Amino acid sequence: MEHGYTIKSKPIYGALAWHDKATVHLVIAQSQGGLAVLKLFEQMQPKQPVRVLYAQQDTDYAKTLKKVVPEGLDVLNSEQELLDVLKSIMPTMRMGLRIYIAGSEGFIWSVAEAVKAFGVENADLMKEQTDTLARTIYCVHCKAITHNITTNIGKCSGCGRMLFVRDHFSRQMGAYMGLMIDAESPGELPAIEEIYP
Amino acid sequence: MALNFKKETFREDYTYSNSGESIKRFPFPFPEDQYMYSVNIEPHTKGKPGSVCEFAFDIDEHYVAECLDKRITLEQDPGRYQALPHMMDAQWDFLELTMEALAQDYPEHFSLQKQGLIWTWENKPLGIKDTFTFGDTSTLATEPFDYIGRQLQGDFVLLDHRDETLYADAGIVTSQADWSLAFNVGMSWREWHGPVPRATELGVMDRALKYLLNLQLGSPVRRLNWTMTVNPRLDTSPENYPHWGSDRNTVNADNVADLVHLRVELQTLFRLPRSNAIVFSIRCYLISLKDIATYPRWAKRLHRVQKTMHPDLIEYKGMTKFHPLMVDWLAKFDDGEALTVGTHAE
Repeated sequence: MEHGYTIKSKPIYGALAWHDKATVHLVIAQSQGGLAVLKLFEQMQPKQPVRVLYAQQDTDYAKTLKKVVPEGLDVLNSEQELLDVLKSIMPTMRMGLRIYIAGSEGFIWSVAEAVKAFGVENADLMKEQTDTLARTIYCVHCKAITHNITTNIGKCSGCGRMLFVRDHFSRQMGAYMGLMIDAESPGELPAIEEIYP
Repeated sequence: MALNFKKETFREDYTYSNSGESIKRFPFPFPEDQYMYSVNIEPHTKGKPGSVCEFAFDIDEHYVAECLDKRITLEQDPGRYQALPHMMDAQWDFLELTMEALAQDYPEHFSLQKQGLIWTWENKPLGIKDTFTFGDTSTLATEPFDYIGRQLQGDFVLLDHRDETLYADAGIVTSQADWSLAFNVGMSWREWHGPVPRATELGVMDRALKYLLNLQLGSPVRRLNWTMTVNPRLDTSPENYPHWGSDRNTVNADNVADLVHLRVELQTLFRLPRSNAIVFSIRCYLISLKDIATYPRWAKRLHRVQKTMHPDLIEYKGMTKFHPLMVDWLAKFDDGEALTVGTHAE
């Protein structure tokens, strides 16, 4: 229960790179993930067909993307809009598809969940984390999900308990485990610090 | 031999206790003076009469009370039972394996009559008798894994074998040492074991996985695992940590021998015939320090093991607060006599 030991189920994200065996590429990005997409196109303009779905937010790479991506670019106005388009185009995708995702961790796992319904396994997704290290937390006590936790300890949106954010990650839930921090000594909280800005 | 089932509790007033017989057959897990995490898997072959490994699934004097405790936990939190939809074949495989084993090994308590696919199961200690059609879920009140899982001591996880790994895709888990089925369901072997310190570095988990991927039908295996728990509580889940976590503050030099329990898991793994899934059975045994000291050899051994425990493991097993008290109490039994290798009591 006590922290102070390491946990190895936290996903490690790399940098996007084209998969040369693909027959079609699907690139999905959000906000600053647009920069990761631009880097990808700096590597190469692939021979195979490419679709790019980009949800623009505060940082706008849409203009540059429109110049760099020759065809198949969709600029959407929200994550939800992007997920809807994704779900509508997935049935048209064929064997040899490779998927690339760039965005916050919450975004990455929302996309992973959406494509899982079409039989795309986690191992077939390339992921790059951008924007923020903020975490989605599953409260193991009341089972509520709380988004955008940037501190070592966060308040559960369901039961209000103060939760220690463990490095134990569930790909199914797209969330880290949150465990009541002061169960053994009620009210005694360590300093709350931002560690996932 | 008919068992004498005890009336006892694993929560609130904690009336749980072990009879002399039960202490004697306790699966003491330390063959040497020092403990280090290891694979320690061996064939689950028939043990000596009366031992916890005599039969495939051990039923003991705590059976009825444990099944009752399991029912309470499941009522309070139905999420302790999980089964992904593709696990239905494995569910029936599990029901067949356990019903056949219990009926064969404990005929005075359980019976299974088959007429083709029409099966009649009787569980005398729990007062259950049902007739159902094997393979037809609509003929049971609950899913088959849920139905029979409630009639067994211990926790069960059904592991699906695909992509050269094992996925924890179903489980009935009410007596776990601090892991959450609801959180872990669907995880692969490596993700699931992420929190075990040192084990990953040592490559222990990769070796164990390799071994289990080759597990054969009819050749089950077993290993022991252990931790220490304050109070004889089965449900030391992270879900209920707010309820039991503070128990660790109640241990002092006067009550340490009564409150602190060695908790041993007899883990057994069986390949299933139709689904090719694996049953991971985790059967929990609890014994107080005081009862361990019934046998001086065990007290000496436990003292040495605890005294030399790696600090990461003390932390991981949640023993930090009471560990020194436990070592001090055990010290008085340890005269320094050299002990031969082995877990025997005398």
